[in-house]
Amino acid sequence: MLTFDQYLTPATLADALRALHEIPGARVVAGATDLLPWARDGRAGDVHLSALVDVSRLAELGGVSLAHGRIRMGAATTIAAFQHDPLLREQAPVLARSAVWFADDQLREQATVGGNLINASPAGDSQPALLATNTNVTLARLENGSIVERTLPLSEFIVGPGKTRREPREIMTQLELDALPGHGAAFEKVGHRRSMVISTVCLAALVKLDRAGLRIEDARIAIGAVGPVPERLDDVEAFLTGHMPTSASLREAAEMAVRRVRSRSRQAYRREVLVNFVERALVSALAHGGLAVKRSPKETEHV
Amino acid sequence: MSELKRHSVAATEGRYPMTQITATVNGREVSRSVPNHYRLIDFVREELKLTGNKEGCGAGECGTCSMFVDGKLVKSCLTPVQKIQGAEVETIDDLDRDHGMTVLQRAFHKCGSSQCGYCIPGMVMAATSTLRRNPVASLDEIKEGLGGNICRCTGYQKIVDAVELARDVLNGSKPESALGEEDATGFIGHSTRRLDAPAKVTGAIKYAADMWMPNMLHMQVLRSPHPYARIVRIDTTAARAIPGVECIITSADVPGVDNFGVAIDDQPIMARDVVRYVGEGVVAVAAETPDIARAAVRSIEIEYEVLPALFSAHEAMQPGAVQLHDFAANNICKHTRIRKGDVEAGLKDADLVVEETYQTAAIEHAYLEPEAGLAYLEADGCVTVQSPSQNITHHRHMLARILGRPINKVRMIMSTVGGGFGGKEDMLYQGMLALAAIKTRRPVRYVFTREESFVASAKRHPIEIRYTMGLKRDGRITATRMIMVADGGAYAMSTPYVMNKTAILGPGPYAIPNVWVDAIGVYTNNTPCGAMRAFGAFQSEFATEAHLDLCAQRLGMDPVALRMVNLMRDGATTHTRQQLDRVLATECLSAVVSAAGWDAGVPFRQGKGNKARIDLGGPGTRAPCTLGASLSPPQKKVPVGSPDAVMNK
Repeated sequence: MLTFDQYLTPATLADALRALHEIPGARVVAGATDLLPWARDGRAGDVHLSALVDVSRLAELGGVSLAHGRIRMGAATTIAAFQHDPLLREQAPVLARSAVWFADDQLREQATVGGNLINASPAGDSQPALLATNTNVTLARLENGSIVERTLPLSEFIVGPGKTRREPREIMTQLELDALPGHGAAFEKVGHRRSMVISTVCLAALVKLDRAGLRIEDARIAIGAVGPVPERLDDVEAFLTGHMPTSASLREAAEMAVRRVRSRSRQAYRREVLVNFVERALVSALAHGGLAVKRSPKETEHV
Repeated sequence: MSELKRHSVAATEGRYPMTQITATVNGREVSRSVPNHYRLIDFVREELKLTGNKEGCGAGECGTCSMFVDGKLVKSCLTPVQKIQGAEVETIDDLDRDHGMTVLQRAFHKCGSSQCGYCIPGMVMAATSTLRRNPVASLDEIKEGLGGNICRCTGYQKIVDAVELARDVLNGSKPESALGEEDATGFIGHSTRRLDAPAKVTGAIKYAADMWMPNMLHMQVLRSPHPYARIVRIDTTAARAIPGVECIITSADVPGVDNFGVAIDDQPIMARDVVRYVGEGVVAVAAETPDIARAAVRSIEIEYEVLPALFSAHEAMQPGAVQLHDFAANNICKHTRIRKGDVEAGLKDADLVVEETYQTAAIEHAYLEPEAGLAYLEADGCVTVQSPSQNITHHRHMLARILGRPINKVRMIMSTVGGGFGGKEDMLYQGMLALAAIKTRRPVRYVFTREESFVASAKRHPIEIRYTMGLKRDGRITATRMIMVADGGAYAMSTPYVMNKTAILGPGPYAIPNVWVDAIGVYTNNTPCGAMRAFGAFQSEFATEAHLDLCAQRLGMDPVALRMVNLMRDGATTHTRQQLDRVLATECLSAVVSAAGWDAGVPFRQGKGNKARIDLGGPGTRAPCTLGASLSPPQKKVPVGSPDAVMNK
């Protein structure tokens, strides 16, 4: 059971930062969907904190807007907004595709994108799509009484399972990512079931075709749950850029992913799934982007 | 994370700061002062006594606590109460706004969608949310909308049927009369509405954890962290000093004969001198609030002398192994034998002998309702325990002996059971509750967390089955030998009966002239195993059917044909030598085979370059759920006005 001396709902970011500064052991909470299950028997057990600082309603952590080809999105944006916010649906359809695989309807209404990134689970389902859209995160802290912000790429923010570059008294305020309305998007995930399940393998793919609609102008693939941190398949992306995709070449591209599996368990299974996921996601992202490529008839095996 | 575990004085005594919450709940403004760690589910259930929505897991997994907050469906067990400050909350309790059941609830009633009913409040809320969002939601959207809700009884089909029916009635594509009871003269072949369904689909029915009595105390239990240990000393001094702690009991407080069980009297109501499994209850506390009781449990000190434990049934049977119960030599709890014909001769006569070993796992029932109970003294001194017990008469007899009182001074009332599947046949907590009620002369309630239910309750027996089967080339079985070793865990519970069933039903509905079965239930320091659906038959029949598939493979036979050759027919003699006059097994299998569109032939043929099966995913089979249906181009909306207005009509 999670207990605490105070539950604070500050009105401004400055108040929230001040609370983190002044109360030793205070902890930030947003959706609470990971915090409450953590403080139960079998995990952390009974936990007593000095304070919880609820940042979910701070204006500084909200809003979704578009400027110069980049989307700005508050860290307290819920995963449900990935599916329902008109701007996100239009400008970053890969987010909606990943959101439908994220937990379930109820949790998506509560869970925030900032929380999912700060948790830094190797299997966090929002991470591949955000990596593929070149997301930067902005963190705010208090220095001599005034708010200081710093921005860093998501690829550098998460450094290991549950580990990020966030300092204990920092609050993630905003995310900034590429608006990619013209990219075909796909998301793949497998776990023991469809809803409320931790990914065994997850993956986001984005592909943009050239004007003729035949060559890949831009390809981005990011994978999760197969290693300590999610990552981009830069070699596959380089191979595909400027490439005219065929069934055989997509298979070739997919095979390149096989050595990426660095998980602690079930490596053989993950290798087989990952390679087939890359291939299937590329086929479906291309289809979403307007080019039908037939998938090679037999799945590849990597047992 | 231990640096986070700093306990303030409040935490030590279980008294937490209060917080004032003002919100609109079911259309009514409420303002209450509650402990600041309350979650929305606690506020609604414990403070407002709106018990329609249940708590099934406390970790956001099961969905039965789902409620609307400002129109958005959330899991209230994951919602700190502060998040509803100034918000509008809707629970199942008043979903119909006093207009009778909503269309969706009537559809659940019509379709027989509620069985134990414990998940149903959440199912109704999730389906309401799905149809409010899209009144023409497709089947895939409905399934996706229910994805975060677990049901353990119905198998989901009837629930999904109900949501589709409600959708069609709400959007006008089906008449309202479709919700009415079927006009039928008989029962067989017709669907009959369940009598308890209206109470379950509205959340009105009371399970044990929903009950509340004036002056009621709350129980928490300290459980063993060790699989096997001697209890050297129990120090409850600090716990007794906490204000609000009314009673602390251990096995020393039991007045009668503290030795009971479903089949063998080998169990105390709380560990006596030794603990035999992780999760065994050792000390129970009754206090003014669950928080105080929990703090008291945390402050109890127990000194254990940890003993080498037995985790394998085979090791437990070895000569010289530790004896867990003095009456059970070699830790054997039950050995059931079946001997029919001459197995050695049968095997000698066979053209093919196939040997294999099968291993099943321990399985948790995971009924959606965690154990809960309420005990109180009647004016005449009779102690009454309300709990979802699946065996109240036996519990009553056992409890009378434990409490050392006449049977007419003990009453057991079976509260509505939120799923049991055999797991609620064992008396795990009723004794502690009764004792605390007698000692304090106050009602005492105890509600398990999901984690407690997992560690404390009996499981399905894991069984290792060593199989030897002899067959003729035409598939006739000449002999079957099954040596089964079951891990029964620390106490017998239903092990003896489960061993009988696993033995009797194990060789399957086949006419076998020579049968040898050993079913051995063994005591270990694992979680006790007891009754669970099919009562042991599941494990042994799994082995038998898996083995027959293997034999079919070796014989180059169609697995159905192999079974057809061997199925019992009229006049068959069972393995236990009962004479059967009529047997419909072959007719039954024929009907199944034809309904399934079975593609006859040797199993696993694809690997040999043969044609793949054609009977998978055929007509009539259920398609897997596809996520993201809502991302496809929006479907044509039927003009139905505001979804809310429709849902509440």
